[in-house]
Amino acid sequence: MKSLHTRTGTLALAILPLTVIQANELNPDVSVVLDGYYKQNHTALSPREEGFGLGHTELSLSSPIDDLFKGQLTAVLEDHEGETELELEEAFLQTTSMPYNLSVRGGRFLSQVGYLNSRHLHEDDFVERPAAYRALLGTHYFDDGLRLNLLLPTPFYWQIGAEAFDGNKLSEGDEDIGAYTVNTRFGGDISRSQSWQAGLSYLNNRQIHGEHGEEHGGEHEEEHEEHGHGAEYTGENLYIADVVWKWAPGGNNRQQQLTLSGEYLYVDDLNEHATSDDVHEGWYASAVYQFAPQWSAGARYGEVELKEAHGDHFHGQELKETDVMLAWSHSHFSTVRLQYTHQEAHGFDEADNTVMLQYVMSFGAHGAHGF
Amino acid sequence: MDFKQHITGVILGLAMMPAQAALNVFACEPEWADLVRALVPNADIHTATAARQDPHYIEARPSLIAAMRRADLAVCTGASLEAGWLPALISRASNRDIQPGKPGLFFATEQVTLHQPHDHVDRSMGDVHPEGDPHVHLDPQRVPEIVDALADRLIELAPDHSNMIRLRQLQWQVRWKLSTAQWQEAAANLKGMPIAVQHATFGYLLRWLGVDAAIDLEPKPGLPPSAAHLRKVLSDPSLQTAKLVLIATYQDERPARWLSEQTGLPVEVLPGTVTDEAGTDSLANLISHIIERLQQYQEESPPEVGSHG
Repeated sequence: MKSLHTRTGTLALAILPLTVIQANELNPDVSVVLDGYYKQNHTALSPREEGFGLGHTELSLSSPIDDLFKGQLTAVLEDHEGETELELEEAFLQTTSMPYNLSVRGGRFLSQVGYLNSRHLHEDDFVERPAAYRALLGTHYFDDGLRLNLLLPTPFYWQIGAEAFDGNKLSEGDEDIGAYTVNTRFGGDISRSQSWQAGLSYLNNRQIHGEHGEEHGGEHEEEHEEHGHGAEYTGENLYIADVVWKWAPGGNNRQQQLTLSGEYLYVDDLNEHATSDDVHEGWYASAVYQFAPQWSAGARYGEVELKEAHGDHFHGQELKETDVMLAWSHSHFSTVRLQYTHQEAHGFDEADNTVMLQYVMSFGAHGAHGF
Repeated sequence: MDFKQHITGVILGLAMMPAQAALNVFACEPEWADLVRALVPNADIHTATAARQDPHYIEARPSLIAAMRRADLAVCTGASLEAGWLPALISRASNRDIQPGKPGLFFATEQVTLHQPHDHVDRSMGDVHPEGDPHVHLDPQRVPEIVDALADRLIELAPDHSNMIRLRQLQWQVRWKLSTAQWQEAAANLKGMPIAVQHATFGYLLRWLGVDAAIDLEPKPGLPPSAAHLRKVLSDPSLQTAKLVLIATYQDERPARWLSEQTGLPVEVLPGTVTDEAGTDSLANLISHIIERLQQYQEESPPEVGSHG
């Protein structure tokens, strides 16, 4: 018994040097993502211009703040028509010690609607987000606000969450809380080799019927002036359903993995002139097969049907997009991707087919990725 | 009468439920599940990975988030082995008990000194962990230190079970000492045996045994064997004396098989961690199994290696 007590004593001593090590690690985790590309032709609804260009260059800092909070800051540098813009994409704090598996996030962050939206662009398997995301969420919707998430005490994974946002990054308006979202996500394993996740999201844009409700009323100059991330096509209600299924032999996703994912987006109540037939609708389905540790190939097909507002009426637009890609990742931190995109459009002048060559390289802290 | 006894039994059983509320443990790798089971046999353990999975490349899957949500303790390797998935899991599970710095998060590598810590690390060196080599779980010397620290941590979280845990800790240590003595004896003829490996998975055990793992099929730690590197390995003179190519079950066998075809070297595929199968279902059994397999390639017939219960 005596020896056991001494052992406890030695252990307490052994823990001391560890706290010293942690205290030395006061620097935040810094990571940089370089994203560059060559694009043969300009395509419809695309933020990437033709020729050589830089995509989403990201600088991210993250760290625990204390024993209750952690924080993250992500700045994005983007090039638009020769001008470099610095945008703050994330600047948030998140609680780490709330009871009942609750977590609160406040500040500026990516909304968790849909499957892709809360992910960083460099995690994507294709050069650009699906057309439906580019049209309805401005590629990825982030804003200033507050989020509350709760994991339910069920044997499988079930999360519910709500967010309130300023809303001005979606469409301009005077409301203090311009947008709110509710979201639920559930998932599990089917076997050691297969796992899945599904989600349902709703976003309410409260600024559609405000005084500034006609901001996209056909005046294209306006869009060019503020080519931020605001969604080009908006409506009061956005609904998203998403599903992801992954398969890896024996669960060893290092060697091989097949990922199937798809989302459906639906927007109604576009503005005060909209009838019940005036809706935006889009979906995509994607299959990516990582057939060796360093190689993956994928195909994606997506459609989006949009209603462009012209004063008191709408013009229908449609875009069908097929992408095929081959990616090589020498290490976990470097990816070179070759992609071919085929667009078929109605109501878009710039629709075209294009070949794209992209690199995504990251250095600094090892980012941990979600499912 | 029988029925009455039955009912009493059920009622008693129900009444005892809260007192028996099992400790819920999330083990990142099967080796830590094995140690927790040895100390707290009735613990409710969820193991995140299996021997056929590369522990560096797990995804923060929904099922793992759910398991971490309900855990009282997470036992992981640390030293950045799980850097690609554990932080995401911890963040998404929002379990206030399992957070960095809290007693509910136990890292095995923080309890021992590691082999080859680096002052300077950059990614051109491959996936090198600045803290040192994290694959400590097969080290006959370091695992007992980890068990002591784990027992202390379990008692901190479940003080009611203190006596039982201390008793089991003592029993485990005695059994391990006996096994270690047997391994030492068996290792005598493995000393200096040259072999080729892929990654440092078995590194600590091989060093303890004195096996010379001079050749690595990985061009850089964590990078899969490339054709160019394999050709370089093939022309390495030390390959002439190597007895075998040792790889783990989660690794791609093709590079080792290719090398085997070129040189006639035998390939030994062994589980890198505890499995569900008899013979490798505990850390001690696994080490015995690895030593036994290695001895197949040594000329002098070795003494029998005892297995650990």
